[in-house]
Order: sequence, then structure tokens, then C-alpha cells
Amino acid sequence: MKCVVILALLLPFAARAQIALYVMNGSTPTPAGTALDLGRVAAGDTVSVRLRVKNNGTSVANISRFSADGIGFTLDRPSLPFPIAPGSAQDVLLSFRATTPAVYSANVQVNSQINNVSVIAVVTVVNGPSLTVFPVCTGSDGPPPAIDFGRVQAGQLRLCNFYLQNTSAQPMPIATFQVTGAAFRLSSGPKAPFIIAPGDSTAFVIDFTPGTVGSYSGTLAIETRTFLLSGSAFDSPLPKPLLEFDSGPMQSAQQRRLSMRLPTAAPATASGFVNLAFVPDTTLVTDDPAVVFLATGTRTLPFSIAQGSTQILISGQASAMFQTGTSSGRIRFTVTGISTDGDPTTSLTIPPALLSFDSTTATRRSGNLDIQVIGFDNTYAAGAMVFTFFDTSGQALQPGAILADFTQAFRAFFTKTQAGSAFQVRVSFPVTGDTSGIAGVEMKLSNSAGTTTTQLTFK
Amino acid sequence: MKRALLLLIASCAWSQSGIEVPSVGLIVDPSGSLRAVQGIAGSFLLGPAVATGVLSAECSEQLCLAKTDSKILSATGQVDAPPGPAVFGLDRDTAVIFFPQSQTFARWHDDTLELLDWTVDDDVLSIRTGDDKVEIALRRDWARETNGPVLLLKEGVLFATADELVLRRPDASDMRFELTGAESVSAMGPHYAAIRAGAVTFVLRLDRGHEQLFLLPGNAP
Repeated sequence: MKCVVILALLLPFAARAQIALYVMNGSTPTPAGTALDLGRVAAGDTVSVRLRVKNNGTSVANISRFSADGIGFTLDRPSLPFPIAPGSAQDVLLSFRATTPAVYSANVQVNSQINNVSVIAVVTVVNGPSLTVFPVCTGSDGPPPAIDFGRVQAGQLRLCNFYLQNTSAQPMPIATFQVTGAAFRLSSGPKAPFIIAPGDSTAFVIDFTPGTVGSYSGTLAIETRTFLLSGSAFDSPLPKPLLEFDSGPMQSAQQRRLSMRLPTAAPATASGFVNLAFVPDTTLVTDDPAVVFLATGTRTLPFSIAQGSTQILISGQASAMFQTGTSSGRIRFTVTGISTDGDPTTSLTIPPALLSFDSTTATRRSGNLDIQVIGFDNTYAAGAMVFTFFDTSGQALQPGAILADFTQAFRAFFTKTQAGSAFQVRVSFPVTGDTSGIAGVEMKLSNSAGTTTTQLTFK
Repeated sequence: MKRALLLLIASCAWSQSGIEVPSVGLIVDPSGSLRAVQGIAGSFLLGPAVATGVLSAECSEQLCLAKTDSKILSATGQVDAPPGPAVFGLDRDTAVIFFPQSQTFARWHDDTLELLDWTVDDDVLSIRTGDDKVEIALRRDWARETNGPVLLLKEGVLFATADELVLRRPDASDMRFELTGAESVSAMGPHYAAIRAGAVTFVLRLDRGHEQLFLLPGNAP
């Protein structure tokens, strides 16, 4: 019977503890107790605390009242009534703001059909320093009060000037005066602790120097006030790169050198790609596969530049070699992967040229005279040929100039191979009789740029 | 009448010969792949690999031979061979070959290999054959000039010092090209030699009056 009495006494207590109120510090709940001190807050600022009401019982609790009765206090909570399942919780935000220094209090009350909870919240409003933010930064009273340093080029410095003033009639002691956060630094101003006389002010400067692209945050704590600091850094645009080439006129069948530099020092380390593309003048082919960077045989190379330098390294080298191919047209160099102050795209024109012979041979075979030509026609219009054979005294042999038009054969070859305009052609002339008297041949080959003449001696 | 000729019009012969992309020769790339090079001087096209695991290769106007670890490859077939690389001396459609690893010589023709009972007591750098002669460049013969690669040419010799490539004609005139770190020199064909320096392959045009050093396009994937 004695045990029964004890249990009966405990039951009402257990019932009262079913609904409990906690103060949240991050994700850690702390029982609110009977009094909740919100500390000191500057006049005009807002202080907030997250509260958690939890149902520790085994039955649903219906919250019928959840209030903070007191001047300046507000409660951000769900509409009443609301249920809380067994083991569940509901968070709310208790905030306070007042403009007149004084001690304020409120009765924070939670009622349910199971039990009620009551806590006295207390906050002290004091005169806080008045902060004036000068451009280029922008300030906000919040809540929470914040200072935005804006967008800054990575690696660059942005200074913000501030003015801290005591607008009250009392001396204002400042024990806390510090800046936190990567990239933010208090570069000039008073050292805490210090006192600001009534009506007096003091200036200070905060640096924002973001090293890399991204968003940055920090805090400026001044006694009772804490300002959130924010800023972001963007990729710094490089000055427009200059694409330069070794001297001499650009022509087909060349291996040329590209170098890149900046007109002024790079504000930050950067890397990207230099690309080339080719657009032929002719419609017979769509490209010339020989137009490539020689280092890789491709049309893209990586480049990099160090902060403070003007020299751009292409694949780690001071320059990059490329081939001009065997087609007239335009080689277009572009830069990707970085932002630049202007478009650095550079085009080279490869002009149409006469047929070019890389090598020529004239040989006698039994019953044949063979002429072999290795060369290129960057106009893709080759075909018309004239051959004139000469005897050992230099006299033209009958029948004189022999005309041949191989235009269609060349067009078919170029179209089929799509390998540029380099060609190797052998023209055979069946001959009867003694060929020893044939000493040489004059060959005229034409394209849209004109006629190329060469004389060959038979071996 | 002796000099009277009948020249048929060229178009009759045209269809027999046609037009082709010019061939520069063959190279062994840094990965050991045998690749054809096409184009003209200053505008080269590197073709796909035609054989892999190639240790040495050399081409003349009529013949190309490549050495894998155990075989000699030609355009017409292959034949077993002593292991390791090879030094080729091509002459028309035959070749004299030295195998440094086994220190043996052999004559190649028609995809057959006949071992020769020749011996040398030094490194064989290059072999030149022709006119019923065989010339062998030994290391000691070139020690005063270079300790780098040497290639005997049909006319002259090409060798590399630490920082230069030297083309020496039969009249002893030298043409020098700035090139550092040449590791090997081989004949790509009758008109070009390939010079390997690390991952980079240079091409030297050998035609008299047209000597020029070029870069071969790389073979990055």
C-alpha cells in the first residue's frame, strides 16, 4: 500500500513534464528552466533565440497556447492549436527588438491539455554604437545586421571605411572589437578595449581580399552588436591576350610559331586553351587536316599564365608550332577557358598560290617517258597541263605543246581524299622509237592563281 | 627518222597512273607503333598505326622493313629474326641487317633471312649497302665526331651531337641544324630522315638544295 501512494504522488509530476521547453544552441537543446536571459542587445537591434517544445509523453499533445507576453517580444510559431506527436518536437523563434534602453521581460507560456510550461524571458537594451558604412560597401540593419563587400575580382583588395559613433549621452566602453572570416581583416582603427565618448566617433577600415573565386563570410563584433560580413570573388578577366606569329608572310606548307602574351601583367593566375580552326576558300573540301599544332597533332593546346606575368606558356613552352596546311583559306585562333577583356580571336589568311612543286622527276623507260610531280595546289583548281618536249639541242619536238586537262581527275582526287591539296601525279607518255634524243620537257601547270612553269631533264 | 617519235597524248596514260597522296615514309612513334607519314615538306599527315611493338624501321625508295622483338616485317610478309632491335642497310629489294642483341648479321630478301658469319667488336651504328659494297659505321669510327646516333645515307651521312644535327655530304660540306637530345636517326624513305628526341620526332628533308628540319605532328590521342 505504501508503494501505491508513492506512485500516485509521482504521476502528476510525470504528467507535467510531458511537454517541455528547451533553448536551442545550434542542434543542442538545453532545458529552458524558469528564466531565460537573452543578454544585452543594442537599441534598435534584434536578438533572437530558437525555442523547442517537445512532447516527451506517450500521447499526442495539443498545443493550445504558445505566447510571449511582453513589450518587444515576438514569437514565430505555427497557428494554434497544433498537435505534437509523442516523441516529436516543434521549434519556434523568439525575437526581441526595442529602441529604448531598459530591461524588458516577457512570460513565455506553452499550454496543452496535458501540462503547461511557463518561462520568464529577460533582455537588456543598451545604447549601442552607431555604425556608418561608406560606399563601396553596403550596410543593412537586418536582422541580422550585415555588411556586403560586393563582388571583387579574385586576388584584388577591396577596402571598406566605417564610422563608429556613440549617439548616447553616456560614455560607451567597447571591450569587443574584432573581425573574423577568411579574406576579411581589420586593417586600421582602434584597438579594444576603448571608450567612445558621448557624441564622439571613431573610424576604422576592413579589408576584403579574396584569393580565389567563391563566396566569403565573416563577422564584425562590436561590443553588443555583431554584423555579418559577406562578399564574393569572381574570376578575374585577363587583359586581352595578344597572339603573335614569327615573321614572314603566311603561306601554305609552312611550320610557323605562335606565341601569346598579355599587354599588362596578369592580375591572377589563369589557364585556358588556345584553339585553331581552318576554313578553306574552296568548297571542294571542308577542312585541311594538316592544319594542326605540331606538339600534339591536334587543334587545341592548354596554356597558363602566372599572376604578375605577361608571358603565356603554351603547353608549358614559350611558343607553339603549327602547320599551315596546303589549302588557301583562313586559320582562326581562339582562346577558351578564361574571361578576357576583349575578344583575342586572331585570323591568318593563307592566300591562293601558284601550283607548288615539292619535287619533280623525268625518267625514261622502255617505250615510255615518265614525269612525276609531287606538290600541292592550294586553290584546288589544278588540271590544265601543257608539256613540250625538247631534243638535246633545245629544239621543241613534234607535235609541240601537248595539252591535257586533268581538272576532273584532280577534283575527284581532292574530294575523295579530303587530305589537303598535296598530290603525287605521274604522267606517262608512250613513245615509239629512240628516246635518247629527248633531253627534257617543259611543263606548265595551271590553277586559279596562274601558271607554273618548270623544265625537267630526263634521266 | 631515228629521232622521229610518236608521243601519244597524255590522257591515254593518265588512267594508268592516277593521282595519290604523296608518301613521305614510315616512322616508329614513341609508343612503338609503325606509322605512315604522308604529305609534303612542311605539311605532314601522320597516319594510323600499321604495326605495333616495333623496335626499329627503315625505308628506301623500294623497300621498308620493320623489326619487332622477334620478327622482321615487310610489305609482303614477315620472317623470324633474332630478338631485339635491328640496324638496317637497304639496297633496292634486299638488305643487310645487324642485330645488336645477338651481335649477328643477316641478309634479308623476299621475306627470308640468311645469317652471315660476319663479326664486329664494336657497336654498329649504321649500315650502307649498294654497288656490291657494304659499309658499316662503328662507334669507334665516329667517336671523335659524336657519341650520338649516326645514319649512313646514299649520299653522305647524318649524325647527331648533343645539340646539333649534322648532314655531311660526300664533299665533306656540313649542314648543321640546331637540335638537342637526338636519340635516334632513321631513314623514313629516300628523301627524309626521322630524328627522335624524347617524345618529339623531327623530320629532315635530305634532298640537295631543299635541306630543312621540320617537326612531325605529335600523336596525342
